[in-house]
Amino acid sequence: MKNTTIVALIGILVIGGSLFLYMSNTAAQTNTVVGSGDVQRITLSEKNANYFPQVLNVKAGQPVELTLDSSVSGCYRSFTIRQLGVSQYARTPKETIKFTVPQPGSYRFSCSMGMGTGTLIAT
Amino acid sequence: MSFNHFIKELNGNRVEGELLKSVFYSLLTSFAILALLYFFKFRFIENFTETYGLYLFLAALSYALLTPLMHQVHAYKQFSCMSGMMIGMTAGMIAGFLASFYVGATNGMFYGSVFGMIIGISLGIWMGSCCGVMGFLEGIMAGFMGGLMGGMTAIMLLNDHLQTMAIIVFLVGGAILVALNYMIYYEMKEAERQRQGQHLLIITITAALTLATTWLMIFGPRSALFS
Repeated sequence: MKNTTIVALIGILVIGGSLFLYMSNTAAQTNTVVGSGDVQRITLSEKNANYFPQVLNVKAGQPVELTLDSSVSGCYRSFTIRQLGVSQYARTPKETIKFTVPQPGSYRFSCSMGMGTGTLIAT
Repeated sequence: MSFNHFIKELNGNRVEGELLKSVFYSLLTSFAILALLYFFKFRFIENFTETYGLYLFLAALSYALLTPLMHQVHAYKQFSCMSGMMIGMTAGMIAGFLASFYVGATNGMFYGSVFGMIIGISLGIWMGSCCGVMGFLEGIMAGFMGGLMGGMTAIMLLNDHLQTMAIIVFLVGGAILVALNYMIYYEMKEAERQRQGQHLLIITITAALTLATTWLMIFGPRSALFS
């Protein structure tokens, strides 16, 4: 077999594999939660090695009470919103994280190491 | 002696003339195994291609790029100390890092690192032994370091462009391996081939690596983060 034929066959294998992967991928699922009540209670879980849901909708000026359920483990239990000065290690699901978003806007939240991330949208 | 001579030699009658065939046979073996497993088993697993597809694909390509190195080292058999140390270090580091990165991205740092260290150290020892104890030691050290670093990097990037980084890591690792093939050619251009029969060896190793990686990713144990 000539080298040009081998290179062409390698190219076909690589491009074929790439196309298969590209065509097989489906859209990501929606994961948004809206805080409710006078005290807006939200529960976060861990799914696919990240927080779930990853988009939290709350009202500005109203207190938020956030719970990390038992599926959340490791450094993900150390919840941080740098722009709001929120940084708390919730050892168990009973320990809630309380804060109030002063102004409408979009805020990034993450674990203390920045591995799990998401967005808090205040309206 | 430029890189162009090396490219020309890929069409020649020396060991380098068989390197592209090694890559092709390795890719064919990996893809045949993955295609069969996908048809009979993996297509029934939910979100299979999103979760594992890219990493299995890159693992197959990475193993294919490691095969020309095995081919050259097995064929020439004996190297000088300097070359052997470089070969042991590069083989151990790149094999360990890539394997560990891909498995770390799907199973967590512990399992990724252990798997990467096993692959990196084994390959580092085998490749480095072509010059004696110095290359042997270099292979162990590099496999150990590469194995640990790959899994750690994957976990640190879990939610920060992990798939893009996997492609970058593969491209950089691949470029280093091609450069090493050139270095071996440069160092051994006056030497004669010592051993035959590399293709069967390469097909066997590729099949073993692909099956081990696939089993670990899909059915193997995983860290708490992925359970």
